[in-house]
Amino acid sequence: MTAEYKKAVPKPTLNPEISAPFWAGTKKHELWIQYDKRANRFFYPPAEIGPGSLTPIEDLVWTKVSGKGRIHSYTSIYQPAMPAFAEEAPYVHALIELDEGTRMVGNIVDMTDDEVRNNTLEINQRVEAVFVDITPEWTIVKWRRIDD
Amino acid sequence: MSFRGEAAIIGIGELPTQRTYLGKSMPGLLGDAARLAIHDAHINVGDVDGIITEGGITYPAFVAEYLGLSVRFATGSSMMGASGATGVALASMAVMNGLANYVLVVIAQDRNPALGGGGEGFPGHAGEFDFPYGPAAGANNGYGQIYQRHMELYGTTQEQLAHVAANQRFNALENPNAVFKGQPITHQDVLDSRYVNYPLRLLEVVMPCGGAAAVIVTSAERAAASLNKPAYVLGGGTGLDDFGALQKPEITVSPVARSAPIALNMSGYSPRDMQFAQFYDCYTILESMCLEDAGLVPKGEIGPFFESTDTTYKGEFPINTDGGQLSAGQPGLAGGFRHVVEAARQIMGRAGPRQIERNDLGMVNG
Amino acid sequence: MTYGDTPGGGKKKAPDAVSDYKKPLPNPSLNPEVSKPFWDGTKKHELWVQYDRRNNKFVFPPREVSPGDLTPMDELEWTKINGMGRVYSYTTVYQSSIPAFTEEAPYVNATIQLDAAGVRMTGNVLGLTKEQLMNNELHINQRVEAVFEDITPDWTLVKWQIVDEEEAPSAEE
Repeated sequence: MTAEYKKAVPKPTLNPEISAPFWAGTKKHELWIQYDKRANRFFYPPAEIGPGSLTPIEDLVWTKVSGKGRIHSYTSIYQPAMPAFAEEAPYVHALIELDEGTRMVGNIVDMTDDEVRNNTLEINQRVEAVFVDITPEWTIVKWRRIDD
Repeated sequence: MSFRGEAAIIGIGELPTQRTYLGKSMPGLLGDAARLAIHDAHINVGDVDGIITEGGITYPAFVAEYLGLSVRFATGSSMMGASGATGVALASMAVMNGLANYVLVVIAQDRNPALGGGGEGFPGHAGEFDFPYGPAAGANNGYGQIYQRHMELYGTTQEQLAHVAANQRFNALENPNAVFKGQPITHQDVLDSRYVNYPLRLLEVVMPCGGAAAVIVTSAERAAASLNKPAYVLGGGTGLDDFGALQKPEITVSPVARSAPIALNMSGYSPRDMQFAQFYDCYTILESMCLEDAGLVPKGEIGPFFESTDTTYKGEFPINTDGGQLSAGQPGLAGGFRHVVEAARQIMGRAGPRQIERNDLGMVNG
Repeated sequence: MTYGDTPGGGKKKAPDAVSDYKKPLPNPSLNPEVSKPFWDGTKKHELWVQYDRRNNKFVFPPREVSPGDLTPMDELEWTKINGMGRVYSYTTVYQSSIPAFTEEAPYVNATIQLDAAGVRMTGNVLGLTKEQLMNNELHINQRVEAVFEDITPDWTLVKWQIVDEEEAPSAEE
């Protein structure tokens, strides 16, 4: 964290106000996402209207969630598209299905090179959010494997 | 006419017959057999749109809920040992007439020594997950929750739905068979009646009674020679709650949303053409949401509809002209059947003092 | 909710069990083996439900096959979930068919939408006074948290305590 962080930092280009609570949450090492009160479901990424339901923003409520999920799928990256990621290769880029039903992308931490190369990760592996403070302003969400 | 050549079995599933099936129950075995047959038929679970069970302890609504099937045709064959064979005959009649595309006929028997004798009534999830929390009696609990949600989503008020009960009591005054005959009530009486479980008030809830009803159905050919003016059946459809009344995605939508379009399509008419409705009314809210789901009133607008429409037998859109179950009483399963009888009576022109003028075409939700 | 069940069918434990709990005990009449992990979980004050690994969804109430997919039981994995949720709908009961409940009326019987996607449970909501209940102060989407009540030595029920909605985090914190 003291060294300069060379990889891409989050860039909220759509509407920073809308996603601000998500990033304020990660700084507190908490996972907050929006709940659509009319359609009775969580969704992500943050939006101004409920996806599919078009529920207006007054009926979308930010809710702290469990941080638990499962690996829905993943890919092992050997040739990163972004040079700054080269030193980490190979690494896993995963699609996590939260218990709350919506999905997030992220990296799986604590994987050895061998584990990555041998594709030891299992679909449906249970995971838990961990929070990585990459710069003084940004904390991103990664995922570690847990037992249930 | 026959179903010769009109229907076929395309997939089969069978579990090994064993002395006991430890760890399994009937719905579980039904699920395993269903999975095998569906796979064998090279279709998906979601393609199954009809179900026939033996109809007793594994009645269709229970099995459809447990297996998560979304069907538009369902019945029990209730023929003891011949239930399976009869089921196939019934399924053939259904697919031949387009009532369903793929009918699952499924029967099972568990011989699990750990099961059985667990309690009165049918086995189900309710004894395990609902009763410990003291639900209101019978269906009062679920409909109370549905009413609450309808109020939340659409702003429906108790004042609006009180008209349902009041209008029907007016109709019942001209029904000598009604349990509440001779007992008028006002709109305010409904609002003053005590809560059974909020938001349901006593006068919005049906009273269980005794009674019976029957009809004779024949071919159009024979009907033409009948001494009574016939009431022709122009269409019919079925719908089941697939994930259980409180588990489905939106509890304020009833299976009528599925069955009404089937019936209407068959008849060639649209909701606009209907001149009256005889709709199941164990609760004001149930009747209300079904009228919406049938397309007679836009979803969410039933409150204003009852506020502004005279639904008595004298009015512009008569509903439950014999008082419905709310005012005529609910003789068990014959209560729903009575809506059919009253519809026929009105079409035949034999409703006496409560006869409606425009009586050519009506919709029944049993 | 399954129609056809009759209330009051609680399976009583051995007659000498020390319990004057008069309300119905959970009666796993469908298949006790299948739902056992749920009740073992409640005794540990934890919520466990099945997860259909093939179709990526939770299954509740417990079953031998996954509804809508018929995924067999050996692919349904018991998973501990977060006990947070919201009131999807409710009714305030003034009159139950079970006398022991009517004595406590009015009380709430609710359908809780758990945060865990697709899981709905029925239960009682705690945290409002009778007066507040009679004034219909409980609202839909009220946030609730599972609490566990050891009703007898063998059974622990899940009930739902109303909790305040936490305020969304903001940048200055």
